[in-house]
Amino acid sequence: MGDKKKILVVEDEEILLAALQEELNQGGYETLGAGDGEEGLKKVKEFKPDLILLDLVMPKMDGMTTLKHLKDDTASRDIPVVILTNLSDYERISEALSLGAKDYLVKANYSLNDLMDKVKSVIARGSQAPTS
Amino acid sequence: MSLTLSVTNLFLLLGIFTVVVVTIFLFEFRRVRTSLMLRESEMTRRMYQLSILREIGERIGYSLKIEHIIEVIVGSLRRLLEYSTVAYMLLSTSPEGKARITFNLNVERPVHPKFIEGVKRTMLGSLNTLMGKEFTLEDIDETISGTITDPTAAESIGSFFNVPIVIDSSPIGLLNISDPSTGKYRHKEVEILFTIMSQASDAVSKLERVLKIEKGKLNSMVESMADGVLMIDRLKQLSVINPAARRMLGLQSEHPTIFEVLDALANQFDLRTRLEESMEHDKLIVAPAITINGHFLQILVSPVKDESKSFLGAVVLFHDITKEKELEKMREDFTSMMVHELRSPLTGIKSIAGLLTSDKVKTDAQKYNQFVGLISTNSQDMLELVNDLLDVAKLESGKFQLIKKVADISSVIETRVNSFKTLAEQTNITLSAKIDPQVPKALEFDEHKITQVLNNFISNAIKFTRTGGSIVVSAFLLPQGKDLAQQVVEQSLVWPGIKKGIMLGSDALVVAITDSGLGIPQSQIPQLFNKFVQLENAARSEKKGTGLGLVISKGIMEAHQGTIGVFSEEGEGSTFYLTLPVGPQVLK
Repeated sequence: MGDKKKILVVEDEEILLAALQEELNQGGYETLGAGDGEEGLKKVKEFKPDLILLDLVMPKMDGMTTLKHLKDDTASRDIPVVILTNLSDYERISEALSLGAKDYLVKANYSLNDLMDKVKSVIARGSQAPTS
Repeated sequence: MSLTLSVTNLFLLLGIFTVVVVTIFLFEFRRVRTSLMLRESEMTRRMYQLSILREIGERIGYSLKIEHIIEVIVGSLRRLLEYSTVAYMLLSTSPEGKARITFNLNVERPVHPKFIEGVKRTMLGSLNTLMGKEFTLEDIDETISGTITDPTAAESIGSFFNVPIVIDSSPIGLLNISDPSTGKYRHKEVEILFTIMSQASDAVSKLERVLKIEKGKLNSMVESMADGVLMIDRLKQLSVINPAARRMLGLQSEHPTIFEVLDALANQFDLRTRLEESMEHDKLIVAPAITINGHFLQILVSPVKDESKSFLGAVVLFHDITKEKELEKMREDFTSMMVHELRSPLTGIKSIAGLLTSDKVKTDAQKYNQFVGLISTNSQDMLELVNDLLDVAKLESGKFQLIKKVADISSVIETRVNSFKTLAEQTNITLSAKIDPQVPKALEFDEHKITQVLNNFISNAIKFTRTGGSIVVSAFLLPQGKDLAQQVVEQSLVWPGIKKGIMLGSDALVVAITDSGLGIPQSQIPQLFNKFVQLENAARSEKKGTGLGLVISKGIMEAHQGTIGVFSEEGEGSTFYLTLPVGPQVLK
């Protein structure tokens, strides 16, 4: 149990959150879900995840603001973040990437393999020093 | 002898008689002839008068210059009158803006130079009297034409007369006819010239007025246009700029120059090149939108030509498309929100459905039930969204149909209150109805649709009311022209944030849902009924639903010829009400 990698999923859509968590659990990861950015930031501190899946459009605190907070805090700065997005809005994706997100996953057409590949490779890279 | 005498006498008598008759006849003939001749000359004069007026009329079409018209009259006068000189004086303005007098004299028959000098002084005197001015000989710019002067001819003026030239009931000059012989001009001749002059003046005055009105119309049209308009003349100078153009370009001065305009457009639009291009190729140029002072402006440049196809300049039109751009952005937002609202749950359903087949979930009954439940509620939410969108689409395409039947609104309200009671009690909210006994039992409305509106109002109220709060559903009649605020007070109701000024054109039933909730900021109230804003908010909000309920409710009430309204006070609560017109007999 102890060597399981931990993933925090921040997503306001309940059903999607449940699906992602279950898929990751079945893939051998330990997960925790959060319904918005505020809750996500709180849970980062307790859960100390190895990876954060972060939705962009959320109530209370959106993903972009959450990402800024994460990168401003030395405790969470080095945790790799993968953006979950539904928008075919490349400006937002590139903004998130420039803010330090490692990768992104388009929710509408992700497959289980996509999810696992991304998570695996980002966690592997996460152990290296951040690039920017 | 006596017979001869008598015969002779008879002949004599006959002769005398004949002479008398012939003489009388001759006299009569002369009289008739004179009168005939007089009449003929009168006719001739009349014909001249008419032909001159016609000529003036025709020429006026080409030119409104009073000098030209007077030249026409002067040129035709010799057919009508005998004179040695004909002259006119007109007020004019020098290039420096000083008042001057144009003096034009035509010598028809040789006269002494002193005669001309005399005419000039006489006219100047009369003109000063006529205008109440004190012009001197120095103010005169003169032109003498016609036959050469003759030092042996008469020096003094025997006969003359002046005719004032009046335009739009103000005198602007004088016409003069002079001759060395005395007693030349009789009343009749003077009168004819007066008639010609006054009719010519009249025609010019009328034309000037018409032109002024037309020019005024054109000016006020350009002035009041919502589009910015610039007119640039052949020399590339700014000849017209309307207030809209000044505002759009942010020009402060009342009469900006072309350079200020070019500056305002600098880096955004090369007006100079576009103007040249437009005039050179004689074509309309439509430039892509530019942004100035936060506004999107589309620019059109069109050459302007006169009848003979020669260039007069160009017109530049600035069309503000900021609203269209905003709408375009709203539509884009709408689309991306739709993507979020429909695609996220659908993706979730797909993933969860996929997981239901996995052994891990299959064997975990609790998880299995949770996942099936998620699929069910998400499908329900999506179905509601699709229904709402269809309703909005129907409302907008006018295909929204009501099935009106006579029903009892009180029982409809009571049924609604009962069906929401359990939900309200879950959050410890008291939900009650307060129906005025005067509310008629039988009214005609679409029960199903009104129920939809009430459901929307009540579920919103529950959503935004804190635990322990209260919600009151009230119904009462509002007579035509009576202020709603007044009626609310008389019904002993309290609506937070209510304002005076809501009066209806006919008697109506009012149904209102008042909550003790969070309240709505005033600035957000108009946006409650905007579908684009609502959907965007819904997507960003943690509350479920499309936010289209109010948009649809408004459509339903409008289909009933009713209205929908909101009063709210932040921290105090809100009231959403509908009004439904009732027949006038109901209130009796």
